[in-house]
Amino acid sequence: MEILVCVKKVPDTADAEVVLKPGGTGIKEDDLASGINEWDNYAVEEAIRIKETHGGTVTVATIGSAESEDVLRRCLAMGADNAIMIDDAAFKGADPYGIARGLRGLAGKGFYDLILAGAQAGDDGFAMVGPVLAGYLGWPHATLVTSIFLEGRMIKVTRELEGGLEEMLKIELPAVLTIQTGINEPRYVSIMGIRKVRAKEIPVLDPAAIGLAPGETGVNANLVRRTGLAVPPAGKEAEMIKGTPAEIARKILDIVKERGGVV
Amino acid sequence: MAKVFVVVEHRQGVIRDATFELISLARELQSASGLDPAAVVIGRGVKGFAQTLSKYLPRTIVVESETLADFRYETHAAVLKDILEKETPLVTLCPQSAFGMELFPRLSVESERPCATDCIKVGMEGAGLSVVRSIYNGKIHSRSTFAPSGGYLVTVRSGSYAPAAEAGSVGAVEDHPCPAFKAPFKTEFLGYREAAVGAVDISQSPFLVSIGRGIKDVENIPKAQELADRLGAVLSCSRPVVDKKWLGKERQVGTSGRTVKPKVYLALGISGAFQHLAGIKGSGVFIAVNRDAKAPIFAAADYGVVEDMFKIIDALKEQIGS
Repeated sequence: MEILVCVKKVPDTADAEVVLKPGGTGIKEDDLASGINEWDNYAVEEAIRIKETHGGTVTVATIGSAESEDVLRRCLAMGADNAIMIDDAAFKGADPYGIARGLRGLAGKGFYDLILAGAQAGDDGFAMVGPVLAGYLGWPHATLVTSIFLEGRMIKVTRELEGGLEEMLKIELPAVLTIQTGINEPRYVSIMGIRKVRAKEIPVLDPAAIGLAPGETGVNANLVRRTGLAVPPAGKEAEMIKGTPAEIARKILDIVKERGGVV
Repeated sequence: MAKVFVVVEHRQGVIRDATFELISLARELQSASGLDPAAVVIGRGVKGFAQTLSKYLPRTIVVESETLADFRYETHAAVLKDILEKETPLVTLCPQSAFGMELFPRLSVESERPCATDCIKVGMEGAGLSVVRSIYNGKIHSRSTFAPSGGYLVTVRSGSYAPAAEAGSVGAVEDHPCPAFKAPFKTEFLGYREAAVGAVDISQSPFLVSIGRGIKDVENIPKAQELADRLGAVLSCSRPVVDKKWLGKERQVGTSGRTVKPKVYLALGISGAFQHLAGIKGSGVFIAVNRDAKAPIFAAADYGVVEDMFKIIDALKEQIGS
């Protein structure tokens, strides 16, 4: 089984203050920690588990710059066999279609049986690259995948629906699957592990090498065009409880007693 | 006259709530920009749904076939492509759900119409369409337009529009023939699988103590469990805690877990992703404790505390003890 996993590096904004650049053209990323997109980490782990059980190779690819190299090295340390960087100079500001066009060029060259991607990304959250890439390749896809079982040239997957419900599908290979968080427990990557893959060569491909014509990606090729960013207007805000932890605890217990009739 | 279509989401014999939110949006586009709204319902034995939908919109298009008994993007994208080519709606709407996320990006490629997903606001700007999306964990809003196209596809985040009420008049119901499919199919629906029922039913508890990413380590779970026990509450959690397998899926609050309506919801170290907040709509009093003063949970909670959750856990235990 030849597996390609598409990953990307994203800023961690879950517990951080996000500040716009002047003019609202983007966010200031200098003060934000960044790392592999959470969903992609599960996808890499899943690919490695399939390889460990059924054989084959795992290749991870990103559209990025030298700044994304640490994410690829981390994937190699987890157990990926190869890593490929597609130089992102031509992809600046690309929408999900532009990214999928770049990945199509790579997938078409590699004779992969299976492509995995995160179900969405923690930055712009379109959740589109996987199914759009499948559409460009003419391959079947499944999104929000929570388990994968191989059966020859077919795979069975479960997809996460709402309210704790899942559906099970049978899909013909080659296919594109987008991976939901919680599908597995991604392995820990040690500093020693990353040192071991320090010297592994990571080829950097330019758009021509993956058959992409000039103008096929980047801002000018976008179908969805970002016109501006803004900090959301403040809506209803919670009434803030202040004081020492003991004072706060007393107030919380008062509210619980009054509103819940409990404690 | 330009048209706006709502692709109806239904599962296991029920039209899902998000569809009625999109009907509100379609009516808004009708009154603001003069678009003619219609519902599109696809499946087997969906005439009953069409009758229901006719009470909401002036036009409902029905496509019925044995092959459409279960949802698959392959069949549904082919049907919608056929409808889009014949009807040429300017805007086609679908919920951003497991259904819409599987279907619309693919339909976009098949029908060669641009798609924007997970939008929270949709409106016409001149002859073009403009959308607002909530990105970077809800901390930034991004506005987008589209490359010029004969039609646009949009998926909408649940809760962005209020569910519509019946219109007070009955609209037309039209059958649209099911197109021929390019067999053989590459995907096959095998069935549904319910999440395993655990020992607890969090939806039955009047008081939930709920933990999120802020719990940091599996070793801290007993601290939260002990607090819940001493308060007479049930312990629940947000998605990251279940993803890490620190608590079972049956304790997850949110769209992909359980929907709850306790009298008291005490959220500790939960940032407030919209999927989580959608699971506690209509709860009694909602108290949130989080170290990040900018966490989106404070925009949804009744009471907020900006403090380390473990300090509050310890202080609560002390107060109960004395």
